[in-house]
Amino acid sequence: MKFLFLGLLSLLPFRTLLAQEYPMPSKESMAYHEARFRKSIPPYGLAKVKEMIAKIQPDADEAEALSSRDYLSLSLREKFTYHMIHPETYAQNCDAVPPVMDENKKIFSRIPSSFGDFIWSKRQADFLVENKDSVCALIKESALRSKRIGCNYKEAILEMNAVEMIPFLVDFYNRDKKDLDLLTVFLQLMEQNKYEPFMKSASWKKLYSENASYEAYLDYNSANEALILQRVTDFYKNYKR
Amino acid sequence: MKYLLGMAMLLIVATVAAQDSLRFIAVPAGSYVVGAKNFPLNPKRTVPLAAFRIAVTEVTNAQFAAFVQATGYVTDAQRRHNAMVFEPGLKEFRWLEDSTAYWEYPNGVSRGDISAKMDHPVTCISFADAQAYCNWSGCRLPTLDEWEVAARAGSDTRYFWGGDRDAITAYANVWLGHDHLSADTADGYMYTAPVAHFKPNPWGLYDVYGNVFEFCEGRTALDKPNSTQAHARGGSWWCSKNSCSFFNSVDIGNIHRHASFSNLGFRVVKAN
Repeated sequence: MKFLFLGLLSLLPFRTLLAQEYPMPSKESMAYHEARFRKSIPPYGLAKVKEMIAKIQPDADEAEALSSRDYLSLSLREKFTYHMIHPETYAQNCDAVPPVMDENKKIFSRIPSSFGDFIWSKRQADFLVENKDSVCALIKESALRSKRIGCNYKEAILEMNAVEMIPFLVDFYNRDKKDLDLLTVFLQLMEQNKYEPFMKSASWKKLYSENASYEAYLDYNSANEALILQRVTDFYKNYKR
Repeated sequence: MKYLLGMAMLLIVATVAAQDSLRFIAVPAGSYVVGAKNFPLNPKRTVPLAAFRIAVTEVTNAQFAAFVQATGYVTDAQRRHNAMVFEPGLKEFRWLEDSTAYWEYPNGVSRGDISAKMDHPVTCISFADAQAYCNWSGCRLPTLDEWEVAARAGSDTRYFWGGDRDAITAYANVWLGHDHLSADTADGYMYTAPVAHFKPNPWGLYDVYGNVFEFCEGRTALDKPNSTQAHARGGSWWCSKNSCSFFNSVDIGNIHRHASFSNLGFRVVKAN
């Protein structure tokens, strides 16, 4: 998971390496990979938040957090922006995910992590959960404006266990059916809520059972797509709030 | 002057003591096959290596304590108060930042110290801390290729015993639970185990898989040109079949060079 591969593909030594050792992913697959790792940048107080981050992170090399005073001075919308562009703590080792062929034709078991070596701190994750309704509204507003849902927004949806976003996400997916990671969000929501019909399915066994690989995926085809959409819609209807 | 001489002698004695307590095996110079097919992060290839000696075990708390005692070294976690610790109940890949954690309290003060774990691998140290230890001890970290050659012990399979992942339980302290929501002590240890507690690989190296991720020098084929990322290999006590599963000879992890986690440690090598 978790780091940009496409940019690296442009490196000559790696291109050579790929040519020798690994079949090159198609242009479509590479473009899709890049899109998967693209974040959404919220507009709310963006300049102010960036300026504050620049002050705490002069060399851009360390995990740094705003002081409590500065953090508390931010409005809810500005905090949202801060969290979506600046994780405060280190992510654990074992983040590297190898590139895969035909990435644009696969529904993965997990969305890619958004921030490479970094991850949201506890206060950041707590903020998302404690302000779930507001954060969901901001994500919807931002997604409708930009016509995309970045990997950081998807990660936030899962962090908040935002089941209530499902109808919006289904509609959003159905606009062009290109962002297969939205199908992954549905799979992960059903998995983390232990939705019984899903837990008994062949899909769950392939993606999340004891012997499933972390990089497991389903082939993207109309049957799998329809099944996921139907299941997640049923899950939403039966979800006990 | 006498004081300075005394300090110098103390430092030399401590260095020798730390090195004496490490055993090494010799790996001869040669060409070795590393990597795996269809795996761009670590593609299958033949690499030439000079002879080197690699420690049989990971650096322990006792050995790191000797280093700190001799030098007064202060780790990244002690300076920055941002070590990442674990306790059961966390979601997958989630850790807690604990300002009290450092190598003597690798999961924070509230979760106990290392006084009964001096033969466990040192953890909660960063790549930079591991390099400082190496500079003091006259050793260095293994390169990514050296680590892999030693871990493989002549094998060309994902695991040094073959391809059966489930055989891991005989050789490594890993997480055997399906997730990290509840404690897993099925192999006797939730966190680290004493070094050399599990069976060694065919060359006599212990804990190349599991126990702690081991920092390595070098870059992967996918590293950006200006990347300052560090790498660590072999999986750790935290790694399960479903999350991470890096307890093998192929995978290579990325980590910030100043990050301190309670599943990160190292072993050392010396030139022959």
